[in-house]
Amino acid sequence: MTAAEIPAPPEVRLRDLSLEVSPVEVVGRLVTLERREVPRRTDGVARPLLVGLLTDGTATVRFSWWDPPRDGIERGEIVRAVGAEIREFRGRAELVFTWKTRVEPAGEAELPRVTPEELPRRLLRDLGGPAEGFRIEARVVRIVPKSVTVGEDQRVVYEGLLADRSGTAVVSAWSDFGLNAGEALRISGAYVRTFRGRPQLVLDERATVQRIEAGDLPLPAEVLRSPPRPIGDLEDGGGGEAIAVEGTVVHVLPPSGLVFRCPRCRRLVAGGLCRIHGEVEGVADLRARLVLDDGTGSVVVGADRGLTEKLWNVTLDEARRRLQDRPDPSVLEEALLEAVVGRRLLVRGSVSRDDFGLNLAPETIEPVEIDLDTAAGELAARLRGPGG
Amino acid sequence: MTVRETAWRVSARELQGSVEEERGEGEKVASYVVSPYGARMNRVLVAGALSPAEPVGRDDPPTFWRARLTDPTGTVPVTAGSFQPRAMAQLRAGPESRPAVVIGKAHLFHGRDGAAQLSVRAEAVRAVAETEERAALAEIGRQTLDRLDLLDRLERGPAASDESLRAEGIPPLWLRGARASLRRYPESDRAAFRASLASLVRRVAGDLGPAPVRPSIPPTVTVTPAAPPRPAPAAPTGADRSEESVFLELVDELSEGSVDGYADLRELLQRIAVRGIASGRAEAVLNRLEEGGAIEEPIVGKLRRS
Repeated sequence: MTAAEIPAPPEVRLRDLSLEVSPVEVVGRLVTLERREVPRRTDGVARPLLVGLLTDGTATVRFSWWDPPRDGIERGEIVRAVGAEIREFRGRAELVFTWKTRVEPAGEAELPRVTPEELPRRLLRDLGGPAEGFRIEARVVRIVPKSVTVGEDQRVVYEGLLADRSGTAVVSAWSDFGLNAGEALRISGAYVRTFRGRPQLVLDERATVQRIEAGDLPLPAEVLRSPPRPIGDLEDGGGGEAIAVEGTVVHVLPPSGLVFRCPRCRRLVAGGLCRIHGEVEGVADLRARLVLDDGTGSVVVGADRGLTEKLWNVTLDEARRRLQDRPDPSVLEEALLEAVVGRRLLVRGSVSRDDFGLNLAPETIEPVEIDLDTAAGELAARLRGPGG
Repeated sequence: MTVRETAWRVSARELQGSVEEERGEGEKVASYVVSPYGARMNRVLVAGALSPAEPVGRDDPPTFWRARLTDPTGTVPVTAGSFQPRAMAQLRAGPESRPAVVIGKAHLFHGRDGAAQLSVRAEAVRAVAETEERAALAEIGRQTLDRLDLLDRLERGPAASDESLRAEGIPPLWLRGARASLRRYPESDRAAFRASLASLVRRVAGDLGPAPVRPSIPPTVTVTPAAPPRPAPAAPTGADRSEESVFLELVDELSEGSVDGYADLRELLQRIAVRGIASGRAEAVLNRLEEGGAIEEPIVGKLRRS
């Protein structure tokens, strides 16, 4: 067999890698790099190995590069690998650069040109999964600039909420795309990160944002004023943003009422000690951990000072005065419980779950008034109806 | 993972008809009372008129209290002991019958004869305005009808997969409850139970006043809950009078022979049955005697001459 008869390996995009086609030619950017040494089985001589992640905008794939150049390889560089082999690792294809593979530097222009239209559209409900190589079509429900410190730098991140008909997702944009609430967007080149068990969409300077016709994307008001959902339903899904639930307060969990927080990290102070900062002068605060139950499930609503004051009708100052009169914080907790247990509330906020069940970080808490005539009419109609 | 038990919205009648229990094995596992109407309850939420609490037992000061919660469909005992000091204080708070919402654990007590009696061990008691009580009853009615609909569906088409039902928004807990009900009560009369909710709906609409202060507890709980609506009180006939005298005789006999001076209701009803008076009749006679002031029931299940 002569060299001329060996067909050149096909050039493929990373999302199209398959175990059946090997070797291949790929172009991609080195996202992470790690140098290792692996002892050779025959004589124990250490063999250099470079492992990392390669991305071309369609997918991110692990690679192993045997006997790489000693230096001159940096994160963020673009390389072309001709004759890379495919190996299966935990059910997914990954690349191996061997002595038969030719790896050479490449330019930005050689990366596959990916138009948003050819990327598969992903619904916000299905955001978890491969971290990139998809497009999102969604409405901006709200967006707020936030100043954060990254290492030494002060940067602005635009945080908000996106919605499509399938659900919602938190978005954080590290570049200014001029996003405004109400805009309908097509986003490509973004990636997914998991924060507190929930997937979030992250946009950096490599992401592309286009304004599109809204179609049937939900309006911000629809999302922010959505009807309450059964709590039992949320237990299946694991959580979400801008979710409304309606139920009865069946219990108040300790510690609720008047609490003291570390002035530096806001963690609760117990016995004058912060878990992280040791001995501190605690700052007084009000909170209420309400167990809200709607008959299908229950969720713990963590109300902050403002919401607790409104619900309890007792201010932080008043609570402190009461504590001075009767220095037993459990009396305050009891009083709070008496004031709220059995009350029917409509609560909106973001829901997450931990080992103990569902938690809701509320944005609003409102008392619920039931129209008794309407309710009675509906019940009577159902009793008369088929099956009654 | 121990997830908090959900409070099932149930009527007193549903609780009265619940006689099946599902006990967990091992330590710290929850037990459940399974109702014929789709509830698999550890915790419940009930609403109605709460009677003043009475002490139970001979401890001084009393460590266990019992009250009765009456909604338009029936009555359940509500108890609280010194292990739930807050609930006990709340239960004792009112000298008069008052509208209330009670959250607590469903507890089945088996008497010596094996008959089950359900009570609610209160965790939280909240005295509410009448409109709040009616709102809570509205929710109880709605969720009860939802559960009955689910049972009908499951019975008609048992092939429906849990996944497809969940996709429709039917809570997983309810599916589990419905399947347990159908398994434990294959013969339950849901149509009669459904019809009995009419009084609850009238109460929600405000057409029916608050439940009477001193209703009677049905003595034994049977799986067929459809007792006919109580007939309008007619003038007692001679037959009625003779039944009443049999009744009073037995009350005297039993209270003389008992340690605490009370006639045990369950024992009484057993003896009545032996004399050929049906339990439905016995209940009517008991009601008449109580209303007439001849006998009283200061403790649930315990009778004496007034």
